[in-house]
Amino acid sequence: MSKGFRMAVLVKQVPDTSSVAGVNPDGTVDRARAKKMMNPYDKYALQKALEIKSAYGGEIIVISMGPPPAIDILYEALEYGADKGYLLTDKQLAASDTLSTAYALYNVIQFLGKVDIVFTGLQTTDGDTAQTGPQIAERLDIPQVTYCEELEINNGRVRASRVIEGGKQWLDLPLPCLITVANSAGKIGHKRFANVYKMKELLRDKESLSKMVFVVSLADIGADPNLTGLAGSPTVVGKTWKLGEIGGSCVMFKGESPAHEVELLVNRLIENHCGIEELLK
Amino acid sequence: MNQIADVLVIAEQIQTDLQSISLELLGAARQLAGKLGVGVQAIIMGHNIGDIPQTLIHSGADEVFVVDQPELAEYTTLTYRRALITVLESLPRTPHIILCGATTIGRDLAPRIAAYFKTGMTADCTELDIGDYEHKSKVDPSKIGIYHNCLYSIRPSFGESLKARIIGPWRNPQMATARSGAMEPIQPDTSRSGNIVPVKVNFQETDFRVKVIETIRDVASNVDLTKAKVIISGGFGLGGPEGFDIVRDLASVFKDSAVGSSRRGVNAGWISYSHQVGQTGKTVRPELYIALGISGAIQHRVGMGKSKTIIAINKDESAPIFQYAHYGIVGDLFVVVPLLKEQFKKALASAGRG
Ligand SMILES: Cc1cc2nc3c(=O)[nH]c(=O)nc-3n(C[C@H](O)[C@H](O)[C@@H](O)COP(=O)(O)OP(=O)(O)OC[C@H]3O[C@@H](n4cnc5c(N)ncnc54)[C@H](O)[C@@H]3O)c2cc1C
Ligand SMILES: Cc1cc2nc3c(=O)[nH]c(=O)nc-3n(C[C@H](O)[C@H](O)[C@H](O)COP(=O)(O)OP(=O)(O)OC[C@H]3O[C@@H](n4cnc5c(N)ncnc54)[C@H](O)[C@@H]3O)c2cc1C
Repeated sequence: MSKGFRMAVLVKQVPDTSSVAGVNPDGTVDRARAKKMMNPYDKYALQKALEIKSAYGGEIIVISMGPPPAIDILYEALEYGADKGYLLTDKQLAASDTLSTAYALYNVIQFLGKVDIVFTGLQTTDGDTAQTGPQIAERLDIPQVTYCEELEINNGRVRASRVIEGGKQWLDLPLPCLITVANSAGKIGHKRFANVYKMKELLRDKESLSKMVFVVSLADIGADPNLTGLAGSPTVVGKTWKLGEIGGSCVMFKGESPAHEVELLVNRLIENHCGIEELLK
Repeated sequence: MNQIADVLVIAEQIQTDLQSISLELLGAARQLAGKLGVGVQAIIMGHNIGDIPQTLIHSGADEVFVVDQPELAEYTTLTYRRALITVLESLPRTPHIILCGATTIGRDLAPRIAAYFKTGMTADCTELDIGDYEHKSKVDPSKIGIYHNCLYSIRPSFGESLKARIIGPWRNPQMATARSGAMEPIQPDTSRSGNIVPVKVNFQETDFRVKVIETIRDVASNVDLTKAKVIISGGFGLGGPEGFDIVRDLASVFKDSAVGSSRRGVNAGWISYSHQVGQTGKTVRPELYIALGISGAIQHRVGMGKSKTIIAINKDESAPIFQYAHYGIVGDLFVVVPLLKEQFKKALASAGRG
């Protein structure tokens, strides 16, 4: 492909905490039972890649690391307009922290050959660290823009804005680079009907599908298994416990008459001794 | 010599203004260092940073490494990365622990440093501690054992409503970023003394791959949001700058109140940045926080989630803010707020009678 940019978009499958399945009443997640979805932050990354592709042309390759069912989010990305997908799946990858995840994903990117831009989400809704993107950039030895909102490319140079305390900053950098896309950037559009239709067809035509979505193991991409999974992770989650007062504890007032709801609310505040009387003047 | 190495803080300045997160990190570092019986080191990078190193010593550092060069006048990932790596590699001993702020700079820089040193890092901690850890899992036999003096990095996972303790005793430095407002600074003591160590950095061509074209910052007059007992905040749901009139009006019924905003309200130019609450704004913890037309994105939540009572008014029942507010009214804020104001006045009147 001579025209346009070759882009990799990293997408992670996470538990869908907005669904009732697998979400305990206290808001904690039962990972085995939970419904799964594409990390919502990754949709902003995919959207940026789609914008670049429609402005300048190019190819979008979505990459995910996860168990076999994670292939669903690659299919979903194709419905939005991605061109190809790679799922890295391997038993050895279990219990990876961000350092070893970054190592594994770096290897997938290397395996793809030349990539102009790597897009990641800002963070995930489960691990929620925002570390994976910069750690991949470090491995690749390329510049990065984190918290990116706007992006354009002119004469092979990238102009990108990023969110900072109290404002924003415009940066100029070369390709290749890694961009983590802020959730205050543009929301993803709708799936293209034609793509959804094509995906349906592809799912029936395994042979064509196997030329677009690839499942690879660590051995396939030549990654060192000792640097992945628990063995390659310098950290472990030592202990978890419930976050107090969170998830479903909100007392909701909704009804026909706002005046009545407001009265109920204020009465409740007084009954619950929130000290509201002392705060008023 | 102590077997354990020091605790090191990556201090942060913007336009030679030392950021308050640095003092909070030093406070946390002193506590950790006290438990370990070691010292506290700090690194400050920038240009013409004046007496910042002294301030760091007064606020808890025993030794401050200073890189003061024109290339560092403005933050870029790769120049600061080079400076930090240079300092860390010049140390006779690898720090036991490195702390950094979970700011847009810290979250950009620290993960790269952790990847460079191939060490573990925990994001956005709200608590830090020292303790023992026994690793039993047989998946990787080389990790099995009992470890002492481990950094306990404790962080919330909002998506899963969990708090997690992350541990990585196998490799130093054990790194963590901490949220602003989460750690307590110590009382500055001008009689504290310490070492100031200048370090010269040799940059490489590739460190200048990213250039800053323009930085737009609104550092308007300071609004003391952090001290008010009641904060009424407005967001994009206000529809325009005049929407803040209704916010101010509701604030006026309280004795000690201030007006806050989401980032979208600030970005739209409806109110100045000094009112912004959240990850890149202020961290607040008032008795009462009322959010009007704010969806409740995670970056907003980390700035106000510890408020004692949170009331949200939003017309969208599925807005994330209702997942963590204590009380919610689903409705049009322009209808609800005037009614709420009346009801508060009534409550006060009857409290006065009783
Ligand atoms: C409660 C909890 C806390 C944790 N805390 C830490 C911690 O502090 N430090 C640590 O090192 N590990 C931590 N982990 C482990 C870590 O979260 C994940 O296992 C790691 O694989 C990905 O990190 P993340 O989810 O934080 O992703 P982030 O770094 O937040 O993700 C940023 C972006 O990287 C890309 N990405 C991330 N993972 C994948 C993937 N599997 N496939 C494709 N793209 C991906 C996506 O584009 C994503 O938007 C924690 C896990 C849990 C459950
Ligand atoms: C790096 C980074 C840092 C950030 N830092 C911050 C930060 O410090 N603080 C911060 O707040 N955000 C921050 N953000 C932005 C954050 O992600 C959200 O985009 C932002 O908080 C959304 O603002 P909002 O809730 O006002 O707007 P929206 O998300 O647009 O929400 C508006 C809400 O108003 C409701 N509404 C509309 N009309 C009415 C009506 N008439 N009556 C009642 N309700 C109505 C809607 O239902 C909606 O829920 C940051 C983002 C990034 C990437």
